[in-house]
Amino acid sequence: MGLRVAGYTPPMASEAVTASSISRTFAESGFICSPEVAVSLFLTERLGKPLLLEGPPGVGKTEIAKLWAKYHGAQLVRLQCYEGLDEAKALYEWSYGKQMLYAQLLRDKMGEALARAADLASAIALLRDEADAFFSRDFLLARPLLQAILSERPVVLLIDEVDRSDEEFEAFLLEVLSDNQVSIPELGTLRALSPPRVVLTSNDTRELSDALRRRCLYLHVDYPSFADELRIIEARAPGLAAGLAERVVRFAQSLRRADLRKAPGIAEVVDWALALIAVGADGLPHDVLRQTLGALLKNREDVERVLSDPAHFRA
Amino acid sequence: MISALARFVDALRAEGVVVSPAETLDAGRALDLVGLEEKRAVHAALKATLVKDRRAAEVFDRLFQRFFAPPVFPRREQRPGAGEGEPSNRRNQGGGIPPPDADRKPKAPDNATEGQSPRRRAEPGKGVKPPAPAPDKRRRDRALRNDRRQSEIPSRAQASRPKPGSARAEDPTHRILAARMSTDEERRIAHEVPRLIEALRLGLGRRLVRASSGRPWVRRALRESVATGGVPFTIPMRAPKPRRTRVVVLADVSFSTARAAGLFLWMAASFLKLGRNTRTLLFVDRPVDATEAIRRWAARAGAALPASQTAPSRRPRPGESIAPHGVSFADMIDTLPDLNPHAPSDYGTAFHALLTSPKRPRGRNTVLVILGDARTNRFDPLPWTLEELSRGCRAVIWLASEPRPKWGSEDSVLPLYLPWIDLVVEATDLAGLAHGLTELIRRL
Repeated sequence: MGLRVAGYTPPMASEAVTASSISRTFAESGFICSPEVAVSLFLTERLGKPLLLEGPPGVGKTEIAKLWAKYHGAQLVRLQCYEGLDEAKALYEWSYGKQMLYAQLLRDKMGEALARAADLASAIALLRDEADAFFSRDFLLARPLLQAILSERPVVLLIDEVDRSDEEFEAFLLEVLSDNQVSIPELGTLRALSPPRVVLTSNDTRELSDALRRRCLYLHVDYPSFADELRIIEARAPGLAAGLAERVVRFAQSLRRADLRKAPGIAEVVDWALALIAVGADGLPHDVLRQTLGALLKNREDVERVLSDPAHFRA
Repeated sequence: MISALARFVDALRAEGVVVSPAETLDAGRALDLVGLEEKRAVHAALKATLVKDRRAAEVFDRLFQRFFAPPVFPRREQRPGAGEGEPSNRRNQGGGIPPPDADRKPKAPDNATEGQSPRRRAEPGKGVKPPAPAPDKRRRDRALRNDRRQSEIPSRAQASRPKPGSARAEDPTHRILAARMSTDEERRIAHEVPRLIEALRLGLGRRLVRASSGRPWVRRALRESVATGGVPFTIPMRAPKPRRTRVVVLADVSFSTARAAGLFLWMAASFLKLGRNTRTLLFVDRPVDATEAIRRWAARAGAALPASQTAPSRRPRPGESIAPHGVSFADMIDTLPDLNPHAPSDYGTAFHALLTSPKRPRGRNTVLVILGDARTNRFDPLPWTLEELSRGCRAVIWLASEPRPKWGSEDSVLPLYLPWIDLVVEATDLAGLAHGLTELIRRL
């Protein structure tokens, strides 16, 4: 009988992954998984390709990656992209402080070694051999990409909001995504021990390169339908008054159709539902909206616009 | 499916979506992984592999709906005249993916003659008359006309629909088998089977008739010679003994047709020598040889039927009360390995599997009997597979478990198969099944 460790889920064999088991596991975590999501994750597993999730903010793209890691009992390594992200922040950098510290501590030892040198050329040769020790893995600071590559246990690498990064960084990602390897000049090419499962997310704020897209399976994640969102709210906020869940979802969906500066995502709707439970609301009167709308809308103009004519959105 | 995928990719490219060969290969592998059973899974798999941005996704969705749309048949009164459209061609005009071997159209009837069977028509040098238009339509009409009762009324089930409350409405032999019914209703119908078997046995027992030529009928000659003092002035002849006919029964046992299949096989087991000259294949999405299982199941046909063991709250399975000697047809099906009764029906795949298997019905004395509703759940019907099967047999008899007005509606593709069927019998009820069995036995 195998030993069961609390909080540890053994990694799942690739052959055991099925679309239905993905749906079921996600549902157990309160995530209503559409067949498209389940099939895409199933294919990314079996075809060994990264998955690019594209869609508006707040529809659950990052959550999919988190649950994907949970499904496999794998560690989630997250690389949050932003403008100006470079290799040093994403891949690795040398620990300059550690190198200096070691150099200071080993100065006497270095002096003894160099004292044996007969001339300058042999001293340089000796120094070159010793200096290489300062560019070994001991002084390497692994950033998320390298962590995922070097990990001995299976990991899910989440490259979040890749559309925020620069195009140069996107090009740099190609080697990682296609070959599961990175090149470090001082160490050579490091290949992944167990290829990470890679999920990229994009909010579609800029067009990603074709080269990057072609290395990935693609899934556009949109706002859920009324029925799906109702199921999500009922699962995540079960204490909502009878009939109120439907009104909440209808209200949120009408907000999305309106030209707001920031349409509410699923997470905001769940937050709003929980806020309504907290204040004990059994309807959506004006005062309740005023108290709780901050959980749903994140822009002052949007809040004022909705409060000025809430009946328009309730309809 | 590979050729269909290639055509679909071509269509995407024609709409401006860039699809590389590597992505096409990925799509093929993805289809292999998810299977073709669920349209939504196929859609998701192809979309994940072929689409790379939102604009392409919109084009993909639009094209996918067109390509994988169900076949569309015009209403009967709108059907074009001869030569204007065979069902398979019309389907392709609608943008749907033609069958994998769409180029394998029915052989041109250069030497076709009126009334010849598809097999004879394909033989060179047999006919000399000029080609007639719309051979498939004519074949289809012939298949319908061959059923004697079909020629009298457009739809037996429709025209003879009993009025509610009438004695005929209460008759279990006229109860529509595909309708939802309780286990008790099903048991009442099953109780009629032994009586029908006896009636058929009596009716078919008087088959010997005098023939103008053939072999001498010695017994009759002796009987008739009594009047002439024992001198047989005329030797009566009887038809030559037919060759031993092999029968292959291919029955759809999916949810909608399992009841009809169980009843038919029960009756057929009393007349056909299962395992000797009759092979029984059951299918939902692929055929499984169930000859021995059916033979054992029906071995004691006519014995007392068991009482209902069905919990009232559970939805009864079709065939639960069809139990000749205690084992229900539904339970018997469950014991068959490789048969998944819960899979969606896929006639095209089943025919193709039969065509390419060593158990393919073949021979000039082979009669293929198919029982089913031809509802393919939007899968490719592959009519050319039935054409190939039909060419290898003496006759193809189809027992349709749905009334004729429903043929071709929604996902029914029976009109596509009709050109390759010699006889189609509307077997929506027990009486219809008995009629189909009679027609089969007449051809033995």
